[in-house]
Amino acid sequence: MTSTDTLSITPQPTRLPIRFGQFLPLAPPSIMLIFIFAIPMGMMIALSFRGADGALLTLDNYQRFFSDDLMLAGLWRTALMSGLVAICVTVMAYPVAYYLARSTSRWRTVVFALAIAPELAGVVLRTYGWLVILEDHGAINSILIWSGMISEPLPLSKNLLGVVIGLTHVVLPFGILSLLTSIQGIDPNLERAAQILGASRLSIIRRIILPLSVPGIVSSLLIAFTMSASAYATPALLGGAGFKVLATMVYEQVLFYIDWPLAAVMAVLLLILMLTMTLAGTRAEARLQRKLHV
Amino acid sequence: MSSNDIEMISVTKAYGSHRAVNEVNLAIPAGEFVSILGPSGCGKTTTLNMIAGFAHPSSGDIRIRGKSQNGVPPEKRGIGMVFQNYALFPHMTVEENVAFGLKMKKRPIGEIRDAVKHALRRVHLDGYGERYPKELSGGQQQRAALARAIAPEPSLLLLDEPLSNLDLKLREAMRVELKDIQEQLAMTFVYVTHDQDEAMAMSDRIVVMQNGVVAQCGRPADIYDHPRSSFVADFIGKSNLLPIQEVQRSGKDWVVSVATGLSLRAKTPDDTLADPPQYCCIRPEAVRLTMVESDASTSANRLAGTLTRMVNLGAYFDCFVTLQDGTVLKSLVRSTRLPGLTSNQTVFLSIEREAVQLLPR
Ligand SMILES: Nc1ncnc2c1ncn2[C@@H]1O[C@H](COP(=O)(O)OP(=O)(O)OP(=O)(O)O)[C@@H](O)[C@H]1O
Ligand SMILES: [Mg+2]
Repeated sequence: MTSTDTLSITPQPTRLPIRFGQFLPLAPPSIMLIFIFAIPMGMMIALSFRGADGALLTLDNYQRFFSDDLMLAGLWRTALMSGLVAICVTVMAYPVAYYLARSTSRWRTVVFALAIAPELAGVVLRTYGWLVILEDHGAINSILIWSGMISEPLPLSKNLLGVVIGLTHVVLPFGILSLLTSIQGIDPNLERAAQILGASRLSIIRRIILPLSVPGIVSSLLIAFTMSASAYATPALLGGAGFKVLATMVYEQVLFYIDWPLAAVMAVLLLILMLTMTLAGTRAEARLQRKLHV
Repeated sequence: MSSNDIEMISVTKAYGSHRAVNEVNLAIPAGEFVSILGPSGCGKTTTLNMIAGFAHPSSGDIRIRGKSQNGVPPEKRGIGMVFQNYALFPHMTVEENVAFGLKMKKRPIGEIRDAVKHALRRVHLDGYGERYPKELSGGQQQRAALARAIAPEPSLLLLDEPLSNLDLKLREAMRVELKDIQEQLAMTFVYVTHDQDEAMAMSDRIVVMQNGVVAQCGRPADIYDHPRSSFVADFIGKSNLLPIQEVQRSGKDWVVSVATGLSLRAKTPDDTLADPPQYCCIRPEAVRLTMVESDASTSANRLAGTLTRMVNLGAYFDCFVTLQDGTVLKSLVRSTRLPGLTSNQTVFLSIEREAVQLLPR
């Protein structure tokens, strides 16, 4: 073959056949995920359709859940609690994240350490800490009663309020981190450009910073929501016996009533709740970003 | 009212013990195109940021339109700014970007619409209003940023290296357009750049900065023809800079001895020397290169040497001539003037006495 022949050959399409070798590094984690995640999850979902009579596919267990007002209240309570925590966390984390993203002061490192430090103590430890502060004989109530401002202790724990306070504290660092990444990605010159064009501090936040940090806000809301919805220790300890959410109800069904299929239903519903929120959140993000900038 | 748009009165900005801007005095007349020119890190951006109000002078005073700006925030200074990276709002269309300043000033909707259209037409971006910044090319983004800055019609516009991200061709085209816009709108432009060609091409006045101080301020031609220091001579245009060992009087001329032993005759405009000169500066275009020895009757300095290197610049050659004493002089030769010129041949140089400038630093 002459060299001109070689030149006239049209180049082969560069797309290579799929080589299995390139997926090899993915094998160990995939196998691991299949065994510790996918299979148990599948078993749980299957369990939720298992009938008491041995039937493999029945909606009995779901019917039992949805016809019980107490259980429905638990589902509703889970959503409410997680939603409140998501909002509290995001609202509180935002100013901290903004400060951390923009400050050049040497206090920045200190604030950053303080914001993340709570994660070093375990959830249970921190929840007990809040119990000491919030319970009827706890720090706040003792001081208020001692000073004569109230005669009966305020209901700060064993209810939604206590759980939301505790969970907000537990989840806050995650909210700060996800907002921080997003705000750090906003060019500081945009703020200067807005400022020199006559925008006040408030307008800059409303028209520039907030719209551009929508991805961070959404991810903070979602992380806080899913972490709260699946939290067990904090609702169990700070909520008391009467405060039931899906996570504590699953535990109860498995341990006290030994009703595995019903527990599986609750777990599936918890999963659906979190997936729905994640899906709704990511879809809202795109739309919100367009709307906010007017 | 003062006719100066900006006055800086012994302004210093210190970061710790480092003075980014040191005792700068500057008066920028209304309607002028003023460039702040200097190497990286000399304090150009810091100066601009202090005028804009993003940084505060450690000492000294900045006045805009005769009024001290001490404590006046950027949004109240009534100036426009174009940033090096354009800083267009990515979540707004070009139109919304341009309208932003007018909206903040609470102008009526109809007026905003007209002003936006007008500004976009002025920068040749009509038809691009609906696009988002990321849907524009670099040059178009630069124009959009300019339109946004000029739409509220500030009397004063600050520009921080606005062309440095563009390719050479676009940069040269934008120079002309920027200058046109500045003249049409009769705005004061303060233009920061480290590109001396850019500064020479557009400015009414150039402020050359060096290590936080103003090295020289004046019209482009003045600075080029009469640099006040070796730094300015070196930074603006090309030059042969030779350290001086001794200067002696000889009739109406000065006889300058250079470290290598070369001696040159120089003539100053008023026959005086303000400070003892340290350097002499000869522009390459003032060094006339010939292949035959020139007429002995001229009063010019006459030298001979070997042409050691020729750099082709297209229309010109940059010729490096090594003299007998080892000094290398650069000479600019039009390509068509000496067709037979090759390196390693003996050449002759003549330099007018007036072209040998004596610099105190
Ligand atoms: N916030 C700051 N803190 C400390 N030092 C600073 C700060 N801003 C600038 N400097 C220093 O001040 C000097 C001048 O900086 P400036 O940004 O004004 O330079 P420049 O002339 O704009 O340079 P370039 O052409 O690279 O943009 C530099 O030495 C820089 O390190
Ligand atoms: Mg700079």
